[in-house]
Amino acid sequence: MFKNYFKTAWRFLNKSRFYSLINIGGLTVGLAVGILILFWVNDELSFDGFHKNAAGIYKLENMAGTGASRQIWTNTTGSIGPMVQKELPGVKAVVRTCHNGYFSQFRLADNIFNIEKGAFTDPSLFSVFDFNLVEGNDANPFPDINSVVLTQSIAKKYFGDKPALGRLLTTEDNTSFKVSGIIKDIPKNSSIDFEVFFPMNLLAKKFYADKGGSTIENDFHYFNFDTYLVMDKGIASADFENKIRNIHLRNKADDVDVAYMLQPLSKVHLYQSDGSDKGMSTVKMFAIIAIVILLIACINYVNLSTARSMLRAKEVSLRKIVGANRLQLFFQFIVETLIIFLIAGIVSVLLVYLLMPYFNQLSGKELVASVTDPQIWKVILIAITGTLIISSIYPALLLSSFDPLKALKGKLVFKMSETLFRKVLVISQFTFSVVLIAGTFVIAKQLNYIRNKNLGFDREHVFTAPMRDMRGHYDAVKADLLKQTGITAVTWSNSTITDIGQQTGNNSWDGKEEGETLMLSPMAIDKEFINFFKIGLQSGKNFSGSPADSGHFILNETAVKSARIQDPIGKRFKLWNTEGTIIGVVKDFHFSSMKEKIRPAIFYSQPGTWGQLYIKTNTAEASKAIAAVEKKWNLYNAGFPFKYAFLDERFNDLYKTEQRTGMLFNIFSGIAIFISCLGLFGLAAYTAQVRTREIGVRKVLGASVAGIIKLLAGDFVKLVLVAIIIGTPIAWFITNKWLQDFAYKINIGWLVFVLAGLMAMGIALLTISFQSIKAAIQNPVKSLRTE
Amino acid sequence: MISLQHIFKWVNTGSNRTFLLRDITLDIKQGEFISIMGPSGSGKSTLLNVIGMLDGFDEGIYHFLGEEVHKLKEKQRADLYKKHIGFVFQAYHLIDELTVYENIETPLLYQDIKSSERKAMVADTLDKFNIVGKKDLFPAQLSGGQQQLVGIARALITKPKLILADEPTGNLNSQQGEEVMQVFKKLNEEEGVTIIQVTHSEKNAAYASRTIELLDGRIEKQS
Repeated sequence: MFKNYFKTAWRFLNKSRFYSLINIGGLTVGLAVGILILFWVNDELSFDGFHKNAAGIYKLENMAGTGASRQIWTNTTGSIGPMVQKELPGVKAVVRTCHNGYFSQFRLADNIFNIEKGAFTDPSLFSVFDFNLVEGNDANPFPDINSVVLTQSIAKKYFGDKPALGRLLTTEDNTSFKVSGIIKDIPKNSSIDFEVFFPMNLLAKKFYADKGGSTIENDFHYFNFDTYLVMDKGIASADFENKIRNIHLRNKADDVDVAYMLQPLSKVHLYQSDGSDKGMSTVKMFAIIAIVILLIACINYVNLSTARSMLRAKEVSLRKIVGANRLQLFFQFIVETLIIFLIAGIVSVLLVYLLMPYFNQLSGKELVASVTDPQIWKVILIAITGTLIISSIYPALLLSSFDPLKALKGKLVFKMSETLFRKVLVISQFTFSVVLIAGTFVIAKQLNYIRNKNLGFDREHVFTAPMRDMRGHYDAVKADLLKQTGITAVTWSNSTITDIGQQTGNNSWDGKEEGETLMLSPMAIDKEFINFFKIGLQSGKNFSGSPADSGHFILNETAVKSARIQDPIGKRFKLWNTEGTIIGVVKDFHFSSMKEKIRPAIFYSQPGTWGQLYIKTNTAEASKAIAAVEKKWNLYNAGFPFKYAFLDERFNDLYKTEQRTGMLFNIFSGIAIFISCLGLFGLAAYTAQVRTREIGVRKVLGASVAGIIKLLAGDFVKLVLVAIIIGTPIAWFITNKWLQDFAYKINIGWLVFVLAGLMAMGIALLTISFQSIKAAIQNPVKSLRTE
Repeated sequence: MISLQHIFKWVNTGSNRTFLLRDITLDIKQGEFISIMGPSGSGKSTLLNVIGMLDGFDEGIYHFLGEEVHKLKEKQRADLYKKHIGFVFQAYHLIDELTVYENIETPLLYQDIKSSERKAMVADTLDKFNIVGKKDLFPAQLSGGQQQLVGIARALITKPKLILADEPTGNLNSQQGEEVMQVFKKLNEEEGVTIIQVTHSEKNAAYASRTIELLDGRIEKQS
């Protein structure tokens, strides 16, 4: 029985190779792209889920500041975690990690290795998380403070195939560390992503050495730690969070605006701890795009196979008359769909493997399609069976429902509802396409707007490099560099101008209200900085370069407004422990992403701190300028690799996600349209074929070629028009929502939608016209004779 | 075997009612060979389809092998005709994608007959119709007469009690038509299969034991 089904199906597919190819081609592309995107989605959703204890692990985060400056801090102090464990029942373990800011290199014989992903951590890390030691003592991973734990691939990088355990590594300050443990490499889908682990005790000793008696046990000032709690089931609650807050307040009563949140580990990657989005919306968007692409492929299949079902009508009727019941016919067509899907499935899996590297490049992930990974097969299976079910049932039902007598007489006329259904399918395909095209346009327009918006400072031909140990010799370095041709100006600041990361609420001024917190972005600069970047001075004056600068502050307009200071010049201001006066106000400029409003900022003078050098050069002599800076770098920072970046690149880094989204949108909408057009092409060809006789008769009666084309294309054009009408408001809604993320954004305008509509229509027309023209110019005698 | 009493069938076009069959009363006994004749549009094919239960009727009583067809549901009717009736068409209506062998085998597939048994039955039939050598050819590779033989073979494979043939020789030349009629005659005489054929040709009608002439949906003459 099944053999017979397979045989008929195969012969039928073979007989109408053109349609089979279109059908299989569309499905294959749709499946491959859908599967790729779903891989990405699956990977994002799988983050941190691989730990056995995952369900009981929470990350402790907190919130501080008032009003607009209230924000989430994903780090805590080192003291709160152990206190919570000691005082509150139900907390089984605590893990703290802190990024390694002390050691940048290991030296081993003549080799120098940069430490890229290093951290200080509690020993509990290796038992709470699934990062068990494969070598070394599980119970005591760090026998003393000069122990270090490595991942397998780092151990291999350092020591080759020789055993690493017990070997010594020396840092740049000549501290020796003994390798006391090896763990498996941490999976890519882990939020905790380190390669080298130092003991927390060491940090406690080093960091608090100069903090005036405060220790990691009692300090409530330095929020440098990621804190994870392992908790009994059902304990995490608002009440519990409040108890943590009370512990904080008991130790530091003036932090009245502090609040604590327990963020389940499984949500750390995609959500903020207040429940807001941190990537989940992108995951959702991509999941939707994957489903849309798969749907478009399904629609193609359904459309083509139902349209062509008229050609099968005779066969189906005969089978009925000689004894087939409906169920048997139903299964015959399911088998047929199965064959098509089998072919499409196999080719698409191959395609996935081929496209994987390109997709990784685009998505910024390192997905590996391993044949042995059950996750991969889960995704593939879900995608293929899902599409199979959706696209097989309707055609099978329709085909098996023919009235045999009518079908045999060739009088089979589709009921209105059936052609309507097909029309609805074409309309939905093109609606998706219109939305995707419009989305692509809006993203491109917004990115272009950001790129060209006046930032309030001049970033042309400026590159930046860290100073590190040049900082003590800044004046000499600067003087030498300015002598170099190709370098026109030099300045420095203690954080990058395109993205001042830090904020502080430790400030006061006359008129500050009780309990008010003003979060300021502080930046140490020199007297050249403001002129170097052509930042406008609104009132007052610049730093002078004299020691008096240390008591002077310059604010930006937003800071003055937020603090409500009238006539700020000469007024008192206190930042951290420094009492000083405001000497100037600069015009606002963008020192972070356009997604945020310009924040209050304060500039102060503190020569000799760590920071970034900025060098202004010109296009022709940029390489000379870079070489000169590198020479200086090597003079003071021998052994450390020199890294520099042009501000344009740094600026683009801020919008990496958006640029990637834009790029992916481009590609996905291209694919969606391609598949839709494939289906349309098939339908147009089919229509032309079915109407051959009608076209012949019309031509004999005197219809012109143009008239015939209009007749054939007209129906489709109407469908696409309806799709444009439906798609436009949807596109408007979605793009508008996307733009909400930006504090500075474009006005979408109607032109985008007109363009998107025209494009969809143009592509559709192009697709149809080929078939229509072919049918229209055919010799009518020929077409009439074949009937 | 078949008893039709006062069968009416009509279609409504606008406010007019067009009768396709008017007051047909007809009894057919097992083993008869009947020809239905009449001009185009007289209702020959309609009557055949009503008897074959491929088409319904609007009024009247129809007994088939003791079953009250007019009271049966769609599915029960289908089961009845699938079990007892074989159809032969003017345009042969073979499945283009299947070989001769597969075409003949198809009805058996739908009756859940075991593979070995199927093989034997198909082989027998191929033999009987002298088309063993053609079994792996596709319909398009056969002449019209050969295609019609395959069509008859297919109709007979399930051993039906009744064969309904709608102008079986309409597309054939006279020699091929003659062969087909010989096959029918043999079936009727040797195996006792009841045959009802629609035909335009006096010569072919003469093979039958009884001829019914229709005009405008009415039985004009019986002989």
